[in-house]
Amino acid sequence: MSNTHREIQELLADYAGALRDGCLPTFLKSLTREEAKRISESPDFWEATEVVRLMNSAGFGDNVVTPDVGLFISRVDAAIASRSKKAKASTREHSRSQVNLHP
Amino acid sequence: MEPFVRSTFGIFIRHLHRYLGNEVECEDVLEDVYADIWENPFHLRAIDSEGQLLRTVYLYYMRKRLREVYRRMNRSSYLSSNDMQNLIAPELGLADLISQTELKQILHRLLGKLKARERKAMELWMAGMSNRAIANQLETTVGAVKMLEFRTVLKLRRMLKEYCEED
Repeated sequence: MSNTHREIQELLADYAGALRDGCLPTFLKSLTREEAKRISESPDFWEATEVVRLMNSAGFGDNVVTPDVGLFISRVDAAIASRSKKAKASTREHSRSQVNLHP
Repeated sequence: MEPFVRSTFGIFIRHLHRYLGNEVECEDVLEDVYADIWENPFHLRAIDSEGQLLRTVYLYYMRKRLREVYRRMNRSSYLSSNDMQNLIAPELGLADLISQTELKQILHRLLGKLKARERKAMELWMAGMSNRAIANQLETTVGAVKMLEFRTVLKLRRMLKEYCEED
């Protein structure tokens, strides 16, 4: 992605490559002001990204499924526990402030 | 929550992979999506098909989280926040809710309708080859391959649109 004056077809190819390789931030950072403008003004680019995403999914989507769903579930449980702890704490704060308001 | 995660994890993570292409980011987003669903499951009442589930989860839970993935990059990228959002968390497209198996079948059918050179370029790309490697295979330049891919992708989009309208 060293070329700084990429035409729309080159930008699409680089977006597709970045999506396939899982490095979208690299593509986003590589864009110059002119290239970002070119993307913004090209309906073809936006239509093409839709197909690129589908092709990426059909070609590489199956490789993504994590074998250990149990481990992922424990992460979700931890996130839920953290949120419910925060919710309880904020309820306690709320009732405390009410007590202070009406002694 | 566990049975729901077990039964939907594969569907959701594959769908997220379409937008991010990165397993680590997909898992991070999905973790928040499940926690959001646990916190506010209201939208998932009266779901009666996988397509409806995916559509609802994408519109009400995933999209919001996808928008946040690269939000910090807004400052360092020249892409407007609106374009960034359309790139990372777009509106649902033509075939976005089609199952993985059906999508493969449709693409296979559409690829079969392309010219030999166009089909070869797409198949090599989907096999994971770089544009340079594809150019070597097709005995042409990298620039010509990029142009061929761009035109072919647009052609596929038109064919896909026709397919969806017929369906």
